[in-house]
Amino acid sequence: MARMKFLCDADRCIECNACVTACKNEHEVPWGINRRRVVTLNDGKPGERSVSMACMHCTDAPCASVCPVNCFYTTADAVVLHSKDICIGCGYCFYACPFGAPQYPRVGNFGSRGKMDKCTYCSGGPEPDLSVAEYEKYGSNRLAEGKLPLCAEMCSTKALLAGDGEMIAEIYKQRVIKRGYGSGAWGWKTAYRETVAI
Amino acid sequence: MRRAVTLLSTLVVGTTLLAAPAAFAPARAQNPITQDGQNPMGAKPTADSVNEEFLFKNADKITGRVSIPDKKSANLIQPQGREYQSFRERYLPWIGAAFILGMIAALGAFFLWRGRILTDDTQESGRKILRFNAFERFTHWMTAVCFIILSLSGLNYIFGKRLLMPLIGPEAFGALAQWAKYSHVYLAWPFMFGVAMMFVVWIKDNIPNRIDWAWIKAGGGFIGKKHPHAARFNAGQKGVFWMVAGFGAAMGVTGLMMLFPFALLDINGMQVMQVIHALIGITFIAGILAHIYIGTLGMKGAYDAMGSGKVDLAWARAHHDLWVEKEQAKTASGPQLGGRHPAPAE
Amino acid sequence: MKAFIVAVVAAIGLAVAAMYALTSNQRFAYQAFATTGARVSEPGTNLVGEKWTGDPNTNDKSESAHGKATGEPSHPKRS
Repeated sequence: MARMKFLCDADRCIECNACVTACKNEHEVPWGINRRRVVTLNDGKPGERSVSMACMHCTDAPCASVCPVNCFYTTADAVVLHSKDICIGCGYCFYACPFGAPQYPRVGNFGSRGKMDKCTYCSGGPEPDLSVAEYEKYGSNRLAEGKLPLCAEMCSTKALLAGDGEMIAEIYKQRVIKRGYGSGAWGWKTAYRETVAI
Repeated sequence: MRRAVTLLSTLVVGTTLLAAPAAFAPARAQNPITQDGQNPMGAKPTADSVNEEFLFKNADKITGRVSIPDKKSANLIQPQGREYQSFRERYLPWIGAAFILGMIAALGAFFLWRGRILTDDTQESGRKILRFNAFERFTHWMTAVCFIILSLSGLNYIFGKRLLMPLIGPEAFGALAQWAKYSHVYLAWPFMFGVAMMFVVWIKDNIPNRIDWAWIKAGGGFIGKKHPHAARFNAGQKGVFWMVAGFGAAMGVTGLMMLFPFALLDINGMQVMQVIHALIGITFIAGILAHIYIGTLGMKGAYDAMGSGKVDLAWARAHHDLWVEKEQAKTASGPQLGGRHPAPAE
Repeated sequence: MKAFIVAVVAAIGLAVAAMYALTSNQRFAYQAFATTGARVSEPGTNLVGEKWTGDPNTNDKSESAHGKATGEPSHPKRS
């Protein structure tokens, strides 16, 4: 099976936020909840770069491991998903996540913040694939339809890559060799404990 | 006339455009970067661009700017979550198990060695003296009930998924853990209130003094038969008081920091708070286990002090002789029942 | 015993009071993160809500197509 990953080529990202919009629309994500966001580094200075970031579906994911109710699970594609039926909204995943992925319907104290919501790599949740219950809780399941996450699929500059880790690392490597530069695979060291060797 | 001007300006622009490449030609010859496939601006994107390694050298997390209103999401990468994960999953369960099981084992061993601490009968046996009035017992039990539920629901955060979840299944455990979380978050408030009240009510009897030092040197009556002098609270009880006050305050502060994210601390701060909260909580539970043991099973007659509030005068004389003398001196009429204190609850 | 029962009742009472206090100052993400230009009135509570049928044709758009969130709208409608 593939080991699904995200890779954002910061040298191509133009901060158009289409990935954010695509994600919001595809999954009917409510206002204020951002499964994906674009962060601009060195804003307005030379060498400015933008990185589109969501849940990275880490290897040995911190969120999954610290969860007191084990509501996380890793699919055969190495996508980190969680069950909103079991989630108690304690916020431990939120403390542990290196990428700020966990989101909550309410923003105040953790007493009643509600169930955690995060990027599903467009692959739903524990409910049967493409069922109504799955869509209501987690949004659409593109992976079950043989498609990749919409954010990456519709990235206008193909900066955001999604797919098998080795394959997208190879694509990125080719790009770097061809153009002669690259600012690296952002977050890979933290998420996957490896980086793209160039 | 107008046409002539237009024509002229067109000519001028045209000439300039034609001449321009020639004018820049020397510059191009000197700059090899404008070859095919190279950046026409002459910039070196590799050298100029920010990269992860460089940013991590400057700060321990990478922060930028976001266009969405949630400004906290501007944190791009904060790898400290990995350290928090390794503490919470690799060390904390073992630390917790060692402390709590270690304390239970120690208490069990002490019980086997020392047995129940008894009080010799004297002519005062059977007469009662009021030790804790109704309000003192109320604050104690409110805090105690909250503590027991808080500690069980707190341990559930660490051990629930390891011990309970395989037994009852994920759905039932999820529902249970949800209620445990609610009780943890909401019962924390009466607990904090109770700790504050106990602090105010008992602080005057808990200032350490020289008698405590003598009490500790004499082994506190745990070793041997002889009970050293003690006022209303002996050094051991004072230790419990200051433990509850200190740990209670620490648990309250760290808990509030986690309950209200970003009120004062960022994600890294909350990770540290969780570590402190867990470690102190474990120690607190172990300490209170010893308190429960000595207050019930470990010592005959001790439970009455918090149960009915009235203790046997012989017991009080043996364990808190200075306090009994002081109480009796207040009225000079023997055991205090009713009288000075408001009527006890039962 | 009476003191114990009173203590339990008081603990539960204070916990319920704390629950109301904490829940009442809770804000939805769409209220907290709405900008002045946004007019968010009834976003779904968590994704699309209860009434979603999965079929875009029979999906009743007139009412409750999206799970209604309780709470105040982020900004009143501008006239």
